[in-house]
Amino acid sequence: MKFISTSRLTIFLLAAALLFYPLVLSGPFYLDVGVTFLLAAISASAWNIVGGYAGQVSVGHSMFFGLGAYMPLLVYTQWGWPPIAGIPIGILLAVGMAVVIGTPTFRLTGHYFSMATIAVAELIRISVGTWDFLGAAIGLQGPATGRGWWDLTFRGELPYYYIFLAVLGLVLFTTAAIERRRFGYYLSAIKASERAARSLGVPVRQTKLQALALSAAFTAIAGSLYVTKTGFIDPDSGFGILISVQMVIVAALGGAGTLFGPLLGALILIPLQTATNTWFGGGGSGLTYILYGGIIVVIARFEPGGLFELWHRLAPRLRKRAHAA
Amino acid sequence: MLLDAKNVSMHFGNFRAVADADLTLEEGEIIGLIGPNGAGKSTFFNCLAGEMIPTKGKIVFAGTDLTRAAPEAHARAGIGRTFQVPITFTDMTVLHNVMVGAFLRHPHRNDARDHARRIVELTGLRADQPARSLGTPGRKRLEIARVLATDPRLLLLDESLAGLTPSELREAIALVRRIHETGVTIVIVEHIMEVIMTLTKRVLVFNQGHVIAAGTPEQVVKEDSVIEAYLGRAHRRRPPATPPPHAGEG
Repeated sequence: MKFISTSRLTIFLLAAALLFYPLVLSGPFYLDVGVTFLLAAISASAWNIVGGYAGQVSVGHSMFFGLGAYMPLLVYTQWGWPPIAGIPIGILLAVGMAVVIGTPTFRLTGHYFSMATIAVAELIRISVGTWDFLGAAIGLQGPATGRGWWDLTFRGELPYYYIFLAVLGLVLFTTAAIERRRFGYYLSAIKASERAARSLGVPVRQTKLQALALSAAFTAIAGSLYVTKTGFIDPDSGFGILISVQMVIVAALGGAGTLFGPLLGALILIPLQTATNTWFGGGGSGLTYILYGGIIVVIARFEPGGLFELWHRLAPRLRKRAHAA
Repeated sequence: MLLDAKNVSMHFGNFRAVADADLTLEEGEIIGLIGPNGAGKSTFFNCLAGEMIPTKGKIVFAGTDLTRAAPEAHARAGIGRTFQVPITFTDMTVLHNVMVGAFLRHPHRNDARDHARRIVELTGLRADQPARSLGTPGRKRLEIARVLATDPRLLLLDESLAGLTPSELREAIALVRRIHETGVTIVIVEHIMEVIMTLTKRVLVFNQGHVIAAGTPEQVVKEDSVIEAYLGRAHRRRPPATPPPHAGEG
């Protein structure tokens, strides 16, 4: 009972902190860090549904992110529609892509599945980079100034912050609902052993596909959010492998397959990344790769369960020590 | 007839792991599959569970042809199986493990949990224990509980009682009896003759892919072909009058 009340309190404090963050730490810099943090948390939480809960480590989620990012600007540049109209198109395409990609690749397991997702994402990135309809290597540009609220171009970042926060809330709420349902139990069973899961009547392929489709839909939304904020997209910032890798690292750092793991991961990684970018300026852009690589090595070697598991292991010991003192 | 497996054969390249095996089961039976290592019991068992598609033959369960159906379809049809080496969902509690099975017939969480609790009680496990902390006997028991939660009509036990201490074995035998009494038909693959002799009314003996004998356990262990398969030709047809050479040494 006590555990439930403390975790409720933690959630409440976390929600309050996120709600009031822009009011406490105001100014464009902090706001930008906040928005970047939210976007990373949304993407990683979306990835977490299939990568964490179902244990199907996709390293190609940029394909869904990119679709979500490209569609709003595509409908704007091609037909002059408001970018917001491209969001549902992006989601639909991402879900369709998930089914098309998932059907063959889910026959593979473990590393083979991961490698297949990398290959497909890279193929898409390279194709988009040569396709004039999508702006080829130069990319697409959104409306410079909004023609109305529906263009979602705000002068400050504050509105973006709260829109992103609402979406993060939606993703986490959905994930929490999955955890409690048969679907969530089936995902955990699949992660533990597909063979055992099938013997118990779990429709493994179908369940994995549903997880991927849902994950893809939320990842596409993340891409759309990103592009409404930046107003610009090119193959690398939409379909680049760094986008996929960031989702994996953020989720794994905090704890893949846990509700708040991606949030915790983003809370640590994004300030760290911002700091290295600020200290080393544009010349340090390669540093992100080094940072990611270092984190992968550390997590894989010392704490594959992420920080949440580390905490679960350490907390009882710390409590005991506190009692003894 | 609950199960009718006819001419089931499984070839791996030129190797015939199972050759023309037949098995018919009536509802409520409990039978044993025995045979030396590599005799084809497990392969035949995996064909029945849907994990392998037989090269030849036909498997009909409760009027439905399941020969080429996937393992999950077997579970839905009412065939449950355990694994020789238990596959435990170690990140979950005992109850959650069993709930995964219970969800098959009870899609809503509360119903599944209630059903799983009943099964956990029946099998004598502790619901809130982390599955990770179970030893081999506990994991074998959990394996049975989990599949039992899918409400199988036919339960296939793959050496679920191997590697237990004598007292654990007695408990496990009692558990299988209890399950059988609820009306579940059971097929047991087992090396331990004590299990086969006490639990089953009928056994099938496999050797080199073939069913070499069938009958009651008492009949079967006296058959020459069975003795030969287990012990080799030298032990065949020893005249009962002559005492074995060097008696008392071995």
